[in-house]
Amino acid sequence: MGVLKADIDQLRKWRENNERKSRETLDIWLDRLWLNIDSLGNEKYLILEQVCIAALDCHVLSVAKTCIENLYKEFPNSLRVKKLEAMHFEANEDFDNALDILNAIIKVDESNSAARKRKVAVFKAQGRIVDAIKELTEYLKIFMADVDAWQELSELYISENDFGKAAFCVEELILHNPHNHLLHQRYADIKYTQGGVENLELAKSYYSQALKMNPKNMRALYGLYLTASSLSTSSKSTTQKKKEATKIVEWSLKQIKNKYADADVMVSALAALEI
Amino acid sequence: MSAKSKQDAIAYSEGAIRNNLSIVEYCRTSMAALSGCTAGLLGLTSLHGAFFYIFALISLWLMILFKAGFSNWDKYFISRKALLTNGFFGQLFTYILCWTFIYGMVHVY
Amino acid sequence: MAGDLIVDSEIRVWVFLPIVIITFLVGIVRHYVSMLLASQKKIETQQLKDSQMILRSRILRENARYIPKNAFLIRRQAFNKEEDGYLTQKRPAVTQNMMTDPSMMTDMVKGNLTNVLPMIIIGGWINWMFSGFITTKVPFPLTLRFKSMLQRGIELSHLDASWVSSASWYFLNVFGLRSIYTLVLGENNAADQSRQMQDQMSGAAMAMPQDPKIAFKAEWEALEIVDHQWALADVDNKLFGEEKVKTD
Repeated sequence: MGVLKADIDQLRKWRENNERKSRETLDIWLDRLWLNIDSLGNEKYLILEQVCIAALDCHVLSVAKTCIENLYKEFPNSLRVKKLEAMHFEANEDFDNALDILNAIIKVDESNSAARKRKVAVFKAQGRIVDAIKELTEYLKIFMADVDAWQELSELYISENDFGKAAFCVEELILHNPHNHLLHQRYADIKYTQGGVENLELAKSYYSQALKMNPKNMRALYGLYLTASSLSTSSKSTTQKKKEATKIVEWSLKQIKNKYADADVMVSALAALEI
Repeated sequence: MSAKSKQDAIAYSEGAIRNNLSIVEYCRTSMAALSGCTAGLLGLTSLHGAFFYIFALISLWLMILFKAGFSNWDKYFISRKALLTNGFFGQLFTYILCWTFIYGMVHVY
Repeated sequence: MAGDLIVDSEIRVWVFLPIVIITFLVGIVRHYVSMLLASQKKIETQQLKDSQMILRSRILRENARYIPKNAFLIRRQAFNKEEDGYLTQKRPAVTQNMMTDPSMMTDMVKGNLTNVLPMIIIGGWINWMFSGFITTKVPFPLTLRFKSMLQRGIELSHLDASWVSSASWYFLNVFGLRSIYTLVLGENNAADQSRQMQDQMSGAAMAMPQDPKIAFKAEWEALEIVDHQWALADVDNKLFGEEKVKTD
């Protein structure tokens, strides 16, 4: 009984911290909890839900199926269980059925964010990126403050090569989380890819910001080097700007060299980079 | 319980700070209840009780600072002074209730 | 003068203690009853949209200095433009349908049922059951002004103000025990957690003011006066500056 309690506590901890740990969850379930399903107390259904998602993650559909059946027995009309069923269909690549269920859920409860997000996931899995973007923008019209959705949207736009809109989404992410250096670096990446003097200037600033927040960010350092070097050779910028850019090029190059010297990486890798 | 620091400005994680404050709030309520009971048991009256309350507040403050570390408390809390003065009157009510209750139980009858 | 008053110790067992216990237990029962009655609130999409919008505009105001100027201007335009910005669009007044909306009414009734009603009933009952007792004495001197507050139900003009009557003791308990409840009930109990999880799914939409119009107006004003200062304008020079200090 003591072991069982420890397991339940462990699962609860994962659930509350939103840790995924699907394989571990599933192992716990298959090893011990599965046989004691009735002695789980009042957390039984929460655990069933958690295990079901974990099983879908690991593509152990039989376990997920049992979980869903158990849940249906208790809550025949629950939208939460319906969502799980839709996920099960999804895992089976039976997308039409999944979409039907999700649409039904949204019809009943318009503010069900989980179902709308799953719909986006289905479209993405089917490769219908344009549909996914459309659905996600609809979703964001209602849930404007959903950071994860903005992130997903920015990635979808990038895969469609629509960098202007992707940049907008990343701006939104920066607004929500201004102290994350990865977001600044990401924004700079997009701006660098877009090209043009103005965008390159922006990219330079954001790479610098990312570096300032985390001096170890190697990608930002490379990005800064690349941005500055293309700024220094750009025909449109003024000589003053060019001078500054050259300075940055030298600086970032020195930094990169130092980093590699510190890291004791083969010098040849660096030589290849300098050309 | 974390707050990351930058070179020019200190950035606090809002959730972590709120969590810290709620824990401190919990400590403070417990402290008010316990010290109220103690004051009642000791039979402190009038100003002695008030002094005892202030003494308890300050000792709790010192204990929290000790727990956080005297040199790096600013990793966990924004202001040291607010840690002492926040909820002074809110906890006073709890303190007085416990004080009166135990005092009444022990000394009045 | 106060010291010469002797209170029968039977009062302690039959009046003083019962009042404390009754108030405490009633508070706990009320907590669970309100948990039982709390219906899963069905959130209107519109309401959800409003609260999320306000959240986003607030964040825009706070962190605007981290995005480029024109990005900020685009957003402000979307929120504040004259005819159909997010914050300026026309809305039917909400106050009218509050009375006609039956779910709102049941919520209000439930709130009254769990908060106000027990206090009145138990208070009245205690007043009737234990009327006229002196229960305890506060351990500090008080001025006469407190007499009416602490000695409800006893009209003795010569009694020292620090004595407390039974009815007043009950009210002291009602207000003083609040923080004790958070101590007792704030621990992780299963019912609370499951509710939190559902809250998470529907976002932070619960805290929504009654009338979005007022909130929108305030938000509109605040956003209008934000002066955009780009925090990154000089960041590369700062970066080098630090570097120089370090290498020196």
